[in-house]
Amino acid sequence: MQPAPHTEALDQQFKEFIQALQKAVGTAMPHLKDDPKIVDQAIADCQEILDVVLEGNVKEWVA
Amino acid sequence: MFTEKVDLKDFEKQDPEYQDLLKRVLAIQADCEIGGPNLYVKNILPSAPTKLDQLIVARTAAEEMDHYRKMSRLAGDMGLDVSYVLSRSNQERYVEAFRGSIDTWEDYAVFGFLIDRVGRFQLEEFIGCTYLPLARIVEDPDVIREEEGHIDFGTNKTAEYAAKGGEAKDRIQKAVDYWYVKGLDMFGNTKSYRSERYMYWGLKRRPNAVGRAQYKEEIDGLLTKMGLAVPDPNKGRLYT
Repeated sequence: MQPAPHTEALDQQFKEFIQALQKAVGTAMPHLKDDPKIVDQAIADCQEILDVVLEGNVKEWVA
Repeated sequence: MFTEKVDLKDFEKQDPEYQDLLKRVLAIQADCEIGGPNLYVKNILPSAPTKLDQLIVARTAAEEMDHYRKMSRLAGDMGLDVSYVLSRSNQERYVEAFRGSIDTWEDYAVFGFLIDRVGRFQLEEFIGCTYLPLARIVEDPDVIREEEGHIDFGTNKTAEYAAKGGEAKDRIQKAVDYWYVKGLDMFGNTKSYRSERYMYWGLKRRPNAVGRAQYKEEIDGLLTKMGLAVPDPNKGRLYT
């Protein structure tokens, strides 16, 4: 059986997006009370990653 | 009733109806998983009440993305590319509840409380199903824990607003009134031939009406406990 084209590439790309989001959230959580700069940067990072994901430019991801 | 257990290597040997139904449900499931973040990230991530809430929204989106990834991978392995759901507009979503956008924190809370709960019911349909790769995903403790987390967050926030009374309670009631019938509709038509075929092939456990009734009993009890009104279940329904 042949998998659909780009199945592996898209899976890897999504893993990278998810790991980047988890890393940003994980970095910020311990600093909610003591370092607003770290938290704000993490939220900005999440926003940036999610903007790319929700744009859904699949052709670019598998190029 | 089909009771064999099927793995990926045997998928192509199955009856065409089995293959079609499985591909269809995976496409819908993938669409719903990525449909959530497409509804709420744009307006709710920047406007959530606290920094903690913003991080929870981002984490929730990441978990939904991972559930999408898992469903998409299953479909891709059997030759079905569902990546088209990543770039479609919300208006093109398979399920009506995912069309439009979530613009208020109350709507985000109730979406978790009611619509993510329907998602849990849907995933439960696949527990022990005849397609082993799908059964393995929904029986993964991480997937179950994450879905429960989304539901609990929404339920707790909804209860908080209800407990405040006054305008806060009015706003959360308005959100409940909006999402309540959308949740009921997500179970589909009571008389559905396709639903019967899903059950025949061991890809679904409950008739639509049974799932809907169990869901309704669960949420009606919670709404009453919160001191919120149970909306008219027939007002604005698309499916009965």
